[in-house]
Amino acid sequence: MELFIQQLVSGISIGAIYSLLAVGYALVYSVYNFTNWAFDGFMAFGAFMGFTAITSLFMPFWLAALFSIILTVILSVGTEKLAYSPLRVRKAPRLFMMISAMGVNLATVNIINLIYGGVFRKFPVENLQPIFIEGVSIGRMDLMAGGISFGVLALLWVFLYRTKWGLGIRASSIDILTASLMGINNSGVAIVVFAITGVLSSVAGVFYGIKYAVFPMMGIVTIKAMIASIVGGLGSLPAAILGSMILGILETLVSGYISSTYRDLFSFMFLIVILLFFPNGLMGKSSDEKL
Amino acid sequence: MNKSAQFFRKWLFLLVIGVLLVSSLSGCGSQEKVLKVGYITEQTGVDAYVGAASIPAMQDYVDEVNAKGGVGGYKLELVVYDTRSEVPDAVTVAKRLMDQDKAVAIIGPSWSSAGIPLADIADAAKVPMIGTTASNVNVTVAEDGTLHPYMFRVCFIDPYQGFAQADFAYNKLGLRKAAFLTDIASPYTVGLHQFFEDHFIELGGEIVANEGYTQGDAEFRAQLAKIKDTGADLLVVDAYTFKDVGLAAQQAEALGMDIQIMAGDGVFVPELLEMAGPQLEGAIVTTGVSDIAPEFAEFNKAFEAKHGTQASIYTYYGLDALMAIEYAIGEAAKKGEVTPTAVRDALETMTDVQLFTSKVTMEPDTHNPHNKPLLIMTIKDSQWELTETFQPE
Repeated sequence: MELFIQQLVSGISIGAIYSLLAVGYALVYSVYNFTNWAFDGFMAFGAFMGFTAITSLFMPFWLAALFSIILTVILSVGTEKLAYSPLRVRKAPRLFMMISAMGVNLATVNIINLIYGGVFRKFPVENLQPIFIEGVSIGRMDLMAGGISFGVLALLWVFLYRTKWGLGIRASSIDILTASLMGINNSGVAIVVFAITGVLSSVAGVFYGIKYAVFPMMGIVTIKAMIASIVGGLGSLPAAILGSMILGILETLVSGYISSTYRDLFSFMFLIVILLFFPNGLMGKSSDEKL
Repeated sequence: MNKSAQFFRKWLFLLVIGVLLVSSLSGCGSQEKVLKVGYITEQTGVDAYVGAASIPAMQDYVDEVNAKGGVGGYKLELVVYDTRSEVPDAVTVAKRLMDQDKAVAIIGPSWSSAGIPLADIADAAKVPMIGTTASNVNVTVAEDGTLHPYMFRVCFIDPYQGFAQADFAYNKLGLRKAAFLTDIASPYTVGLHQFFEDHFIELGGEIVANEGYTQGDAEFRAQLAKIKDTGADLLVVDAYTFKDVGLAAQQAEALGMDIQIMAGDGVFVPELLEMAGPQLEGAIVTTGVSDIAPEFAEFNKAFEAKHGTQASIYTYYGLDALMAIEYAIGEAAKKGEVTPTAVRDALETMTDVQLFTSKVTMEPDTHNPHNKPLLIMTIKDSQWELTETFQPE
């Protein structure tokens, strides 16, 4: 039982990180109908900015986190302005947007690699000792990461459902053209959406860096988040969180009780089965109601 | 211009005649018998440091042997050719040593991708070769399991370390319940794991958990929680990248695990200590011959003073191979004529012969040195500490 609870706790903490990333994918997908592959690079960028702020600029952690968020938002919005928006304006097929995103991703990761080198670095923060409850270890870092993840997601929910801007984004996610005819500022929505994406990837990057290590290829984990958001149901925020939790817990339970060697094999086969029964994902909706 | 060219040609002609005369005279005069020992190594190309660290030491040693009167009535001559760090060049120069120079034995190559094709060539030419640092299993034993009769090596094969680790863990540390965390996609890791597991079970130990991951994974808590639950007293993480060991140690600590961690030379890098020094306190990392071993300190100093370059494992293994050949020539001379085949036979049966790094017994069925010593590095206060040199019984 103790082992089961331990695995569950680990699974939830992994799911919390996936959630941040999955929501970022879901947000862009629901408004612009393409997968923002550049997310991978943004996450690594966020982590490296936080790392640099602490090691080279000697900032305290909270300031470094803010520094990372601001720079990642600039990168994300800049990418939208330079790489995505021109394609949308010229009515390029959506596939081209994804290729463009992959290009941005490769460029970001490679530039980081050139500047910092491919080594693994420890994120320079104090290692917090875990709390033990009845022999089950709960990482303080995990609690913090989980808390902040859900805090950020809650803020996002409030923003989307309780503000005028949020209404604009939701309207755009249903039909971006009609929304603009109704007076919603398209480019304003784009900036807000990509700014949110920047915040999410920076927070995820910094937490991932603290929990594991900072390295240029760290963003590879976003592929799991992408899968989680599809399983949950692409284009819906709660679905992305649900998908992430399922994937995180599934992975740990498969590792713990079936086989860690075949973890990915079993987890992803299970996900395929889910998709066979729920082709739109667990909470997938038809296109008239999104986010 | 023309005149000076003529002048040069004349001198060159005289010089050649002179050299021929002198060499024939010396040949007649002393009746000295000379055996050529070939050495193919990297003098240029990306791995030029290999030759730079080994040739001077080996030439010194040959001079020393000759000054003492040679071996078995023969003087030795070291014939060095450059492989330019390329496989085709290594093959060309090895053939030249076999066919033209009639070398009695050849030292090299230092890397496995050259060692594998050269093994067939050595077999065909019937000239023994001793690889220095070529550690892939298939250098001496072909993939179908047949032995290359003329190919030997003085370093240990990659997975041997797993065998020696198991021996150390069982016999020296008294550990009985081992758990693995293995990168299932890395041949290095899987090889070490297999040898560890086989030998540990053979000794009487128990494998309580066999956990895996794939390269790029950063999350091991599921596997570690399971290992904790089995009550294992040893965690073997023979990873190829230090990140895996660092993360495993951090997460094991977070789970409140108190377990002996052991890893192989793949992670013997300073970055590991920066990443997880405190979490790895007491962890053991094993490695093969290393220039940090105290028994080489004096040699290293003298070598650097004389040649201006630092000694490295290539120096040591080059000398090991040379000393093995010296021994084999001596043995062959006792029995009769020293031919490449006679040298090969002596190499195959060498038992407890003191070479440069250690005493070596050649395994006749694999042509690998038997039970080479292993350096045991323990992490203390986030520093490497060489705790002992361990030789499996």
